[in-house]
Amino acid sequence: MTEAAAQQQTEQPLERSSSSVGRLLDLLIQQRRSLAGAMFWIGVVVFFSFIFIGLAAPLIAPYNPQSIFLTPPSQPPTLQHLMGTDDLGRDIFSRVLWGTRSSLEIVAIGSVLALIVGFPVGLFSGYVGGWIDRGLVLVMDSVYAFPGLLLAAIVALFLGKGVFNIGIAITVIYVPTYFRVTRNHTISVREETFVEAARALGANSMTILWSYIAYQVLISIPVVFSLSAADAILTAAGLSFLGLGLERPAPDWGLDLSDAQKFLSSGAWWSSVFPGVMIIIFTVGIAFLGEGLSDIANPLLRKERA
Amino acid sequence: MPKQGSLLAYTVSRLILALPTLLILLTVLFLVLRILPGDPVSALEAGRHRSIRDIAADKARLGLDQPWWIQYPVYLGQVFSGNFGVSLGSLYLGQPVLGVIAQKLPATIELAIGGMIVATIMGVGTGVLGGANRDKLPDVIVRLYGGIIWVIPVFWLGLMLQLVFAVGLHWFPPNLRYAADPVIYPPPTHITGLYTLDSLLEGSLDKFAISIDHLFLPSLTLGLVVSGFFTRTVRANLLRTINSDYVEAARARGVPEPFIVLRYAFRNALIPIVTILGLQFAILFAGAVLTEKTFSWDGMGTLLLNSIDSRDYAMIQGTVVVYAFIIVIISVIIDVINGLIDPRVRY
Repeated sequence: MTEAAAQQQTEQPLERSSSSVGRLLDLLIQQRRSLAGAMFWIGVVVFFSFIFIGLAAPLIAPYNPQSIFLTPPSQPPTLQHLMGTDDLGRDIFSRVLWGTRSSLEIVAIGSVLALIVGFPVGLFSGYVGGWIDRGLVLVMDSVYAFPGLLLAAIVALFLGKGVFNIGIAITVIYVPTYFRVTRNHTISVREETFVEAARALGANSMTILWSYIAYQVLISIPVVFSLSAADAILTAAGLSFLGLGLERPAPDWGLDLSDAQKFLSSGAWWSSVFPGVMIIIFTVGIAFLGEGLSDIANPLLRKERA
Repeated sequence: MPKQGSLLAYTVSRLILALPTLLILLTVLFLVLRILPGDPVSALEAGRHRSIRDIAADKARLGLDQPWWIQYPVYLGQVFSGNFGVSLGSLYLGQPVLGVIAQKLPATIELAIGGMIVATIMGVGTGVLGGANRDKLPDVIVRLYGGIIWVIPVFWLGLMLQLVFAVGLHWFPPNLRYAADPVIYPPPTHITGLYTLDSLLEGSLDKFAISIDHLFLPSLTLGLVVSGFFTRTVRANLLRTINSDYVEAARARGVPEPFIVLRYAFRNALIPIVTILGLQFAILFAGAVLTEKTFSWDGMGTLLLNSIDSRDYAMIQGTVVVYAFIIVIISVIIDVINGLIDPRVRY
């Protein structure tokens, strides 16, 4: 191989954009035919489909999810009611579509709040190091070790029901996750040459932290988001199933499953199968997105560190 | 002072290191239970119409009318002396909190052990199958299984298993820990509280069969969901060890392939799993709460949910604190097991 050809080969894949986020995007498009790439793009499609369903629920749901006894109760699936009706005669298909909404809202609130708290604290902890870092890591690890659902359940119990309160309860679980990843990545970026250079040029700590390090560390956030979001959906549904999440008669997957349980012995399979299937498609989609992303992003992270 | 590097010294140091974790957890729980949104008794009273004087009396009895710097040491004192007071809810009114928890704990332990057994068998089985057949069909199936099983809601999986194996096929009872009628089917005498173990200690195989019958579906539910983690870790570790020099050397000597997988690669693949096993218990206990609700399993999770329903503040606090203790103790035990398997970590 000639020198020019070798150079071309090494330059080609990563040349198009210089920022780490842009490079990641390039890689994701390039690797769409690999297993990780395919998983990522399937996940993206599922994720955005659910966002669409959530936003468009009032338009695409054939019935009002809360109107009762418009149709006979406990009917198996028919063409009029694709997923049957529940014990109160509500259309399960409409409820399942509407249920996407509360799930999305809770995950959005929980993830954004966890990011707002976990990211700066993680940056700070990783940057300053020392006993402050050790203390924060100990606190976050302790919280992380406690069963998340139980912690969220107690918080939810005192905050009360509703989408926003459950979002906050979920936040408590995922702050340690965002913290941990941000902190670890900060520690490795802190030692990079460009940070050294900035310091040598006399940039103060705040500038270094926010203009140089934060931007680099941000690349690990989508991976954390996608890996914790699937879990957040499960936890939110679990809270509702336990009777600590949303208030009846709100259409919600966990709540509907908890109601369906009472009628399981009568063989009304449709009222418990479909809300669960929705949860699984959504969580599997997000998990695929996260797996694919972390598979592709991780070599990139390693390259940056080297 | 025990010799440095001995298992005893290591155990003692792990115990001492676990104390801060325990204290932090207890403090977080204190903050959530007492400080955060106003006061818990009022929050719990929201659904119940009682006179302000009764509520004030409840608060005074729990010491919640005191400022936090007085409450906190009292709370820690209660926790470490095991005195959680008496139940305030209608279900166990006046009974000591710790006594009620001690009655319910064995059910949860039994479920957790059952779940761990299923998770280990499923996880190690699929992980080895995948790792030994890299990129072939079994491996693809195993990777799909490992990627999907953990995002299935545990309570939904429980409902589905109930639907198929209890409601549909009548192979297993749909719920409860033991036959519903205590007159025809008296449960085994209380020795450990684990029905399976107690019936064996009693020497009654019939009772053992009934207990296992009831334990099977809940354990399967919980175990399957937790197994995904084992599948992925076993597979990844096996892939690593199967390509290592000593395995290659064994292969060059002509050791048959199945023997290589199980005897050479598998054993070393197991060590890292024990290390991260501790975190799985948090997931296991959270899953157990949901599984208990799905199968009307009368354990700690059910107790916590009932206490929430009956607005039993003392019992809620006792239950969560006991959970915190269990989590910390398990992490110490796992660390010690780790030190036992791999002497390098003791230093």
